[in-house]
Amino acid sequence: MATRAETTIPRRRSRAASSWLDRNIRWILVAPSIVLVLALTIFPLGFAIWASFVQYDFSLGLDHPWVGLDNYKENWSDPVWVHSLWVTAALAAVMVAVELALGFLLALAMMRPFPGRRALTVLFVIPLFMSPVIVGGFFDLFLRRPFGPMNWLLGQLLGHPVTIDFTNDSPWTYISLIIADAWQWTPFMFVILLAGLAAIPDELYEAADLDGAKPRQSFFFVTLPLLAPIVLIAVTFRFIDATKLFDIIYSLTRGGPGTDTYTSSYYLYQEGFELFHLGQGTAGSLMLMVMLTFISFWLVRRLLKPVEA
Amino acid sequence: MSEDIHEGFDGAEPSLFGTPIGRKDFLFDSAKLLAAAAAAGPFYLAAEQADAAIEASTSLTAGDPIALSAVNAAKQFKGITLTKTNESGLQALDDHNFTGPLWEKLTGIKVKVIESPFAQIYSKVIAEHIAGTGGIDVIDGSPVWMPDFAEQKVIDPVDSYISKYKAQATLNDYHPLYRALMKYKGKTWGFFDDGDVWNLYYRKDIFGNAKLKAAYKAKFKRDLRVPRTWDEFTETSQFITDQMAPKVYGGGEGRGLGNPGNQFYFFQQFRARGGRFFNPSTMKAEINNEIGVKAMQSIMAEVKASAPGIEKLSFVDSWVNWLQGKTAMIYAWPPTGRISENYAQRDKAFNFLPKSKIVGKVGYALMPQLNGEHAGSFVKMVSADSKNKEAAYLFAQWATSPSISLQRVQLPYTLRDAYRISHYKSKQFRSRWPAAGEYLKALADAANNAVLDPIMTGAADYANALDRAMTAIYAGKDIQAGLDDTAKEWDRITNKLGVAKQKASYALFLKLPGSTSQNTVAKRGQAVKISA
Repeated sequence: MATRAETTIPRRRSRAASSWLDRNIRWILVAPSIVLVLALTIFPLGFAIWASFVQYDFSLGLDHPWVGLDNYKENWSDPVWVHSLWVTAALAAVMVAVELALGFLLALAMMRPFPGRRALTVLFVIPLFMSPVIVGGFFDLFLRRPFGPMNWLLGQLLGHPVTIDFTNDSPWTYISLIIADAWQWTPFMFVILLAGLAAIPDELYEAADLDGAKPRQSFFFVTLPLLAPIVLIAVTFRFIDATKLFDIIYSLTRGGPGTDTYTSSYYLYQEGFELFHLGQGTAGSLMLMVMLTFISFWLVRRLLKPVEA
Repeated sequence: MSEDIHEGFDGAEPSLFGTPIGRKDFLFDSAKLLAAAAAAGPFYLAAEQADAAIEASTSLTAGDPIALSAVNAAKQFKGITLTKTNESGLQALDDHNFTGPLWEKLTGIKVKVIESPFAQIYSKVIAEHIAGTGGIDVIDGSPVWMPDFAEQKVIDPVDSYISKYKAQATLNDYHPLYRALMKYKGKTWGFFDDGDVWNLYYRKDIFGNAKLKAAYKAKFKRDLRVPRTWDEFTETSQFITDQMAPKVYGGGEGRGLGNPGNQFYFFQQFRARGGRFFNPSTMKAEINNEIGVKAMQSIMAEVKASAPGIEKLSFVDSWVNWLQGKTAMIYAWPPTGRISENYAQRDKAFNFLPKSKIVGKVGYALMPQLNGEHAGSFVKMVSADSKNKEAAYLFAQWATSPSISLQRVQLPYTLRDAYRISHYKSKQFRSRWPAAGEYLKALADAANNAVLDPIMTGAADYANALDRAMTAIYAGKDIQAGLDDTAKEWDRITNKLGVAKQKASYALFLKLPGSTSQNTVAKRGQAVKISA
């Protein structure tokens, strides 16, 4: 039989443990996510920052001496990197503009009920679920001369033979990339804008109608202002995503001809993972991250402006 | 390599067929053989080769001592798994279907294959080395990468194992070109395993066509012949295209970026025309000089004489055109000769290629101006991070031994090509199709006159810069400007890697047979003479 002292000590201990648990439960609950964030985000980021300041290059040796800003300078002295930044910015801007315009038109068309509207909406959204590599491969087969059917289709439409090298001749390479990207991502714009349009109360249009507004005026003074925050959200997400363009480049043009369609991501992939200039690659990716952070910051500020006002 | 090893292997055939047998037995055996072949279908040939390989690895009398010693020593490592790299697709089928299962059957050691596209083997191996996983035991990689791998301690030298297992004799059986590619800075870093020199394959029926010959003579005042210079090649190629397109085009090598790599085309012609990559004293790139521009102009003329869209085609696409009879000449790797005769297509793995419509119509010749490119190829190397180095070495020794490699280079479904003197002389290989003897002689001649890819540190960077520059030139960029930009990029790479270091590396490369057209195996007086 246990003595009184023996029974009270465990009780005290369990009370102490329980009280410790109460005090620290919040830390225990968040600990797994903190560990995950540290392991999968903070550590790789710290490692990347370190790698960008040391010699981390397979061709030069793997003993990692400190090189300061040399990796950053090496990128800027490479004309391909500078070119890739321009290509990235231009492609992202044009792609997002095209997708926004097409997505908006589609969303407007889908606002009015008509037979088969639901089925069409589902069809429009399907490309979103496809891997970009598959999309690139598909367009490669579709556009590639002489086997792809695109030239034949254009020839049938125009009534004379067409021999455009869509994946090898400028500016067709850029146009091909924009078409492939727009085919996949216009549905993203379409879905967001459709939701935005559907959320605008009918009363506002009725009020505008009573005030004698014409459809054009309703569009510019009711639809557009109310849709602007949604548009900004869609553009922000798509622009950030478009600046990371890699998969379609990889499977459609491989950055060619020459380095014409090298985006920053494709350049960094090649430097880092094909040629193993890891220091230079990580320096480039950090610079790209800083640039994107500034752009995102600016876009988010624009996004929050109406709320703050 | 002593002659008796390959003679011993080829000698296996007379022992099978040389025994006197009666008519009844002969008919019965033939029926059994036919039934077995029908049952085995496309794998019949591989099964025959597997039997030969097992006999060579186990028979004390008819066996191959190099294979035998490797198998016997490797049995002590029974139960382990060796992980090796290989090019994805057909190359890896060798490991999956033939070499891997046989090695396991003989030694109890499993072989696991990590497949990746050719260029990515390089990055995969480096990634594993940096991570220090020890996840790769045998590196099946290009000799071009060997200097980088050796310098960064990715691979281990194998000289001590070669001495231990008395495998020196096997090295003498290698063609001198390939023997040189196993060494770097005086050490041996693996066993060479794929004779990848380009040859010119041409349509005998087209070059023998009376009407075409008459038209050629009328236009050029000389006889139509298989081209012997690059200028003649582009001229003949364009002439055939003018006369026969769109049914047949003069030439048709795939020029897609990285597939196989346009740098090979430039490296080949540039050296054949007398060029050298760098000034050995200053290490300034010389690819943009007059010779480089001429080589590039000639390549552009080839592209013009080829089927439309060639700029984006891979070498497999080129094969499809060739097999369908749409190309009069093609210069490519040795499997071209085998697929032309439908030798490879008997295996279902080759179903992606059409059956050849040009069987018996294909001739083999040296490249114009003699120097074919040694493009890519493989050496089996032992990873410095491997936990099973000795077993990895023994696998490499066995797989590349005269008798086993002879079977592997004959496998219909893989792309490994003859590289040993015993391969070229093999009676078995020579019986595979009527012109197989001529084919093997052509491969040996090609190796005698071959020029090598630059085998030096930074090779992957130089190749990448040139490959993408060439696609820009195909798309319309001025040749001189394109080559000037590439030369600048090469200089930038050299400066980054260190001029002194690169100078030393290039000096080592220049000592290799095939580094320039003036330094081929033939020019050194080491040519291997093989009869057809």
